[in-house]
Amino acid sequence: MTMGLYQFKPIPSGRMGTLWTLASIRDSALLEFGCMGHMNYSRVFLERVGVSNACKLYSAHIDETDIALGGTRRFSRAVADIAQRDKPGILFLLPSAVPEIIGTDLPALCRELQPDFPDMRLLPFGCGGFDVNQHQGIREALTLLSRTLPVDVERTAQPSFNIIGSCADLFRFQADAAEIVRIMEGAFGMKPLCVMTSDTSVAQIERMGGANVNLVIRREGLPAAEHLQKRFGTPYLLARPYGIQGTCEWIGRVSRIMGISPDRSFVEGEREEALRLISPALPMFRHAAWEHPENVRVAAGGHADVVQGIVSFAGSELSLSKGACWCDSPDMADGDLPYYAEEQWTETVQKEGKSLLMASGEALEWAGRSTELQIANPDVKWRLNPYEPPFVGFHGAVHLANLWVNAIMEETF
Amino acid sequence: MSNVSHLKRLSAVRSNAGVKFLTPCAFPGSHCPLHSALALAGNIRGVSSLVIGTPECVTYSRVVLQKPGRRHGELHWMYVLDAHEVVFGCRKGLLDAIREMDRAGAKAILLIGTCVPDLIGEDIEGIVREAQQELSARFVFITLGHFKCNSFPSGSWNMLKAIGSLMEPRTICPQVVNVMGRSPDEEHIPMPPLLSALEKRGFTLRCLAPGAALEDFLEAPDAAANLVLSPFIDPLAADMEQAFGTPAFRLHSAYAPAQIDSLYAALAEKLGIQWENEFDRERSEALSLQEQAGDRLHGLRYVGAHIGPLSALPLAAYLASLGMEPLMLHLEEFWPDDKECAKALHAYGYDPYVCHMVNRDSDAPLLESLAPDLCLGELSGARLGFPCVPHLSDLYGLCGHERTAGLLKKLLHALEESGERNDNGTVSI
Repeated sequence: MTMGLYQFKPIPSGRMGTLWTLASIRDSALLEFGCMGHMNYSRVFLERVGVSNACKLYSAHIDETDIALGGTRRFSRAVADIAQRDKPGILFLLPSAVPEIIGTDLPALCRELQPDFPDMRLLPFGCGGFDVNQHQGIREALTLLSRTLPVDVERTAQPSFNIIGSCADLFRFQADAAEIVRIMEGAFGMKPLCVMTSDTSVAQIERMGGANVNLVIRREGLPAAEHLQKRFGTPYLLARPYGIQGTCEWIGRVSRIMGISPDRSFVEGEREEALRLISPALPMFRHAAWEHPENVRVAAGGHADVVQGIVSFAGSELSLSKGACWCDSPDMADGDLPYYAEEQWTETVQKEGKSLLMASGEALEWAGRSTELQIANPDVKWRLNPYEPPFVGFHGAVHLANLWVNAIMEETF
Repeated sequence: MSNVSHLKRLSAVRSNAGVKFLTPCAFPGSHCPLHSALALAGNIRGVSSLVIGTPECVTYSRVVLQKPGRRHGELHWMYVLDAHEVVFGCRKGLLDAIREMDRAGAKAILLIGTCVPDLIGEDIEGIVREAQQELSARFVFITLGHFKCNSFPSGSWNMLKAIGSLMEPRTICPQVVNVMGRSPDEEHIPMPPLLSALEKRGFTLRCLAPGAALEDFLEAPDAAANLVLSPFIDPLAADMEQAFGTPAFRLHSAYAPAQIDSLYAALAEKLGIQWENEFDRERSEALSLQEQAGDRLHGLRYVGAHIGPLSALPLAAYLASLGMEPLMLHLEEFWPDDKECAKALHAYGYDPYVCHMVNRDSDAPLLESLAPDLCLGELSGARLGFPCVPHLSDLYGLCGHERTAGLLKKLLHALEESGERNDNGTVSI
């Protein structure tokens, strides 16, 4: 396939990653100084993945005269309109393709306008360039938020935690975040201070320095967590809890870095309940692994941290083996987990025959495979329902085992 | 009126550039022209497409066309410019891309340049010419920078004009008439009596709209006449008039019964036929409704919001003849014929503000401050403190007296309707 030519959605831009990170933050507004079609489509994308009515999203549009004369009056009027009508405490400024080419200096514009808006902070975001991808945009957006918004606060009276990296680009992000919250409440009696960014407000980000621990659920959140550790002394854990044993170990790691013991009865209860639920399928996994080893290979493509976690659960806790696995970002590729562009994943998906293929909705649909095994985006469906089962935690382990046993049954018998 | 002082009045507008946003922040704003071009391309059998632009453009283009391939072998692929190509151009990559689409079996490929290639001045036309010499697929190119317009109609008419550029002269078939702007397989839109009357006289009607095949378009120059039912396809009709002498009958802009009669008479003369009394019932109904509406509508002041596939100014000119005063009109596009309509409105003493409405929440209070009696069209999701005439897009695919009657019924219904109305199909809880 020619470089640049795509049949399927390419890696989104850093601008898109930035927007998808910011769009779920309540009590804020965002303005894109660029062609308004972007924001119109972004709204459609966000609504379909389940993000609506959080950050107020606007476009100032840009026309030929603005481009030819370097005019920014449209931008200034839009900023003033937002300040007057919505009165948000903060306005995020999103880079856009056309101003990026003509060299519009968004930070300079913000510095110029800021004195006119003492009650509305103007926060320009970077990553507008054409060589910046979605994951870099998300990383930079999380980092900038953690560097600029948190205020000096004391530790919360009751122990609390933050989740860093739960963003709208991840498939089933709400359910995974909710499972982590459930486990933290059960195991440690801790409440979330800030679920960054899928379920948070500006005020919650401002207070995130008061948490006892930062749970970083994707590697893009690492620089943000490092900064918060430096500033507030908050320890962090970069990991996603997959599997039953894996989740117990994750709880153990959280416990060790916080110096707080978990509620043993909760953890044991959850562990036993999850084992009880999946145990009827365990002989089936073992049987299929013996008789039809090609049918119990988990082939997975998606976010590197998701793929690694799911495949590890399949291999170490069940009798499943590892099929072809790949990640969706060249920055995250390593010897064990390569990055596959469209040409490679389409070829791989075709070769994976009867294996348990877990990938994006787009890839699964194209391959004619069950979209129930979707673990990644791009999606092909609407996701209005945030209450679907998660992939992480105890509930996620049961969910995955259920998906796999049905897929094996369908292929094998 | 200070909040609208940045707007121009209709008489001062010469092009789209003169039509300003009513309020400065767009949400949801208008679709870009890529949307309508792609929606059309995906619904014309035999047309493949290649969207050229940023990850935003190509990713979101999958909202319009979800899959890379279609039933009849059409391919809908995408080309993303990288950082190097944004500076140095994408000639080589693009040539390789269209060669690959040609190898994959695409027969006719519409290349759609979006904002970035448009802005950097990439000579895609030149690339297409170069490729055409060595490849069997036929190529057409359109450039659709959203910064050149406020909204989406240019995507449709540019795309249709591009398809028109593939047309070649044909021997005229006196019994063939093109129906431009109505799908060949409409099920929910009644067949206009004019079209039934033509079919009754043995004419073959060739519908040129989404749902047609590329072949239909290529054969279109053989028609004795073009019946234009939509402003979006009018630019193609104008091109065909010039290139092949195909006379265009612009039914989309005719609302007054006398104007419709005159168009029908001209069409009959051109086709060498005579009408019987087949339009009497519809004409009577339109005239009767017009009479009923006369007292009710005369003197009403209205604002025009989103009115779907209708062209705002011909409609405003007709309503002016009934004594309705336009205070402010949303113009999706300033069409070539709009200057004439502006003059017609001026002759009635009206010179409304024109604008582009891009934010229902902030636009609604401004419209209310004008204290209109009526809103023509919709401001999606906004609750207005005065009656609205919604669902004007129902008039798509219709023409003549029955369309006028349908319009008048909607106007009268909106005025008569009392109490709460749920315009948007939302759930009231």
